[in-house]
Amino acid sequence: MMEARTVERFKKRTILFHWIHTAAFLLLLITGAILFFPGLGSAAAGGATRIIHHIASVVFIGGAILYIPLNPKRALQFVKDTLKWGKDDIDWLKAAPDYYFGGPEGKMPPQGHINTGQKMWQAVILGTGVVFLVTGAIMWFARGSVSAGVFQWCMIIHGIAFIAALAMLFVHIYLGALHPRMSESFRSMLSGKISPTYAKHHYGKWYEEISETENK
Amino acid sequence: MKLERRDFLKISAGATGLVLLHPSNLQRVGEDAETSADQSKLAMLVDVSKCVGCWWCYAACKQYNGLPQTITPDPEEPPELSPETWTTLFTTRKDDKWQFRKQACMHCTDAACVKVCPTGALSYNELGFVQYERNKCSGCGYCSEYCPFEVPQLQTNKISGDALMDKCTFCIDRVTNDQPTACAEACPTGAIKFGKRSELLEEANARVEELRKTNPDAYLYGANELGGLHVMYLLEESPEVQGLPNDPQLPPAATVHDVLQWVGVGAVGAVLAGFGLNYLVARARMVKEEKK
Ligand code: HEM
Ligand code: SF4
Repeated sequence: MMEARTVERFKKRTILFHWIHTAAFLLLLITGAILFFPGLGSAAAGGATRIIHHIASVVFIGGAILYIPLNPKRALQFVKDTLKWGKDDIDWLKAAPDYYFGGPEGKMPPQGHINTGQKMWQAVILGTGVVFLVTGAIMWFARGSVSAGVFQWCMIIHGIAFIAALAMLFVHIYLGALHPRMSESFRSMLSGKISPTYAKHHYGKWYEEISETENK
Repeated sequence: MKLERRDFLKISAGATGLVLLHPSNLQRVGEDAETSADQSKLAMLVDVSKCVGCWWCYAACKQYNGLPQTITPDPEEPPELSPETWTTLFTTRKDDKWQFRKQACMHCTDAACVKVCPTGALSYNELGFVQYERNKCSGCGYCSEYCPFEVPQLQTNKISGDALMDKCTFCIDRVTNDQPTACAEACPTGAIKFGKRSELLEEANARVEELRKTNPDAYLYGANELGGLHVMYLLEESPEVQGLPNDPQLPPAATVHDVLQWVGVGAVGAVLAGFGLNYLVARARMVKEEKK
């Protein structure tokens, strides 16, 4: 149940960006999977899915780059959040399995604006994003100029990144939208808002921070 | 723990998806290796010493396949294989004398191109050669990057990456109607022989033995390479002189890619199974907790 008072978790433009990025990513994932899994390959006949892959990659990478000047503070926070790891993260990793298997709520260490699991997902997006970009650009624009061996291994590395991203995307969707614990997470990506109780329970440190600034 | 209808639907949808991803096509590769001695397989045998460089095979291929013609090529600058040139001559000069080798798809038994082609546009014909269905090509160009002989070539839009491959078809419409390939039929010197692979092999082996008496370098290229080629060459020198790799192999990346596809399926399976388990356990425990 949603309480009357809400706290703002994401700005509208962040949400818009999230969904554009998601759409591009899903297109890349689907059109990539069509080339990758032999059982799906016949859908690539004619080449339309490849062109979609190429166009979506421009949105995927171009969108991320455009976001920096549009919302520099949030972009910087994203990178900071992703790269800064501390003791709380270790504690989270230790406590998480029991928690996500329905264990008691109180044992989780308080989290900042994003929790360690979300941090891991951001790291995967950032890390594989760079790998996708470099290997993808070589396969797209440098074929013929690079040796066959370079192309082949770019394809393999692109494929490994794909498997990592695919598996982590499932985890992201599952925890973000389906898991019984993360009840308000998905809604927050639509409205940008969550209830104070949910904020307290799931992002304790962050909730304290914003409560303090509000009271000042 | 009781399975609800909703949970059941979720789980069965996941399982169905997995079955669809299953790379069952992989089994096709290798199957043919065992039957390469099969009597029904067709092949061409190219006797390099008999080629006089008249370019008739080249012209016949263009003519029969409706590809744009050029004037008789210059051996100094022989045309390269391209989507519009499916057969050409590899030329070398030795002591002021030109040597020619007809060059086109080798129609491998263990073909790298078939292994990596995502759409099945490249596949094995039951008569042994590697058939190509143009309307299935996605233009990904993997075949071009994996073929040990650099045969498949693409016409590519450099910006969008849109592309189409084309290569020798082994004159599929002719050979399945008891006609020889166009190039073999055109060759005036008998340098290109067309027939049953087993018979050509026998003939070629006898010839090589004969040649070996005076020339230890004589070699039948394609008898065993890549599981046996369906275009074989009688060579009087080391393959490299004729622009052929000495010991052609499937690129290791092709095998790694196969393994990776299985890893992908496995990862998806493991993650989905994990979710199913997690969902049931977590909800059951949370419900119990609430009741307390
Ligand atoms: C970031 C920009 C990206 C670029 C520039 C890019 C580009 C490419 C290119 C050029 C290919 C080769 C086939 C072709 O030419 O169509 C390819 C294949 C592929 N891409 Fe991407 N891609 C990108 C992102 C992604 C993402 C985000 C995913 C999935 C999460 C993905 C999954 C795949 C897969 C699975 C393949 C097939 C690989 C194989 O057959 O082994 N790509 N990509
Ligand atoms: S020579 Fe190249 S294109 Fe021809 S069958 Fe072998 S791998 Fe495929």
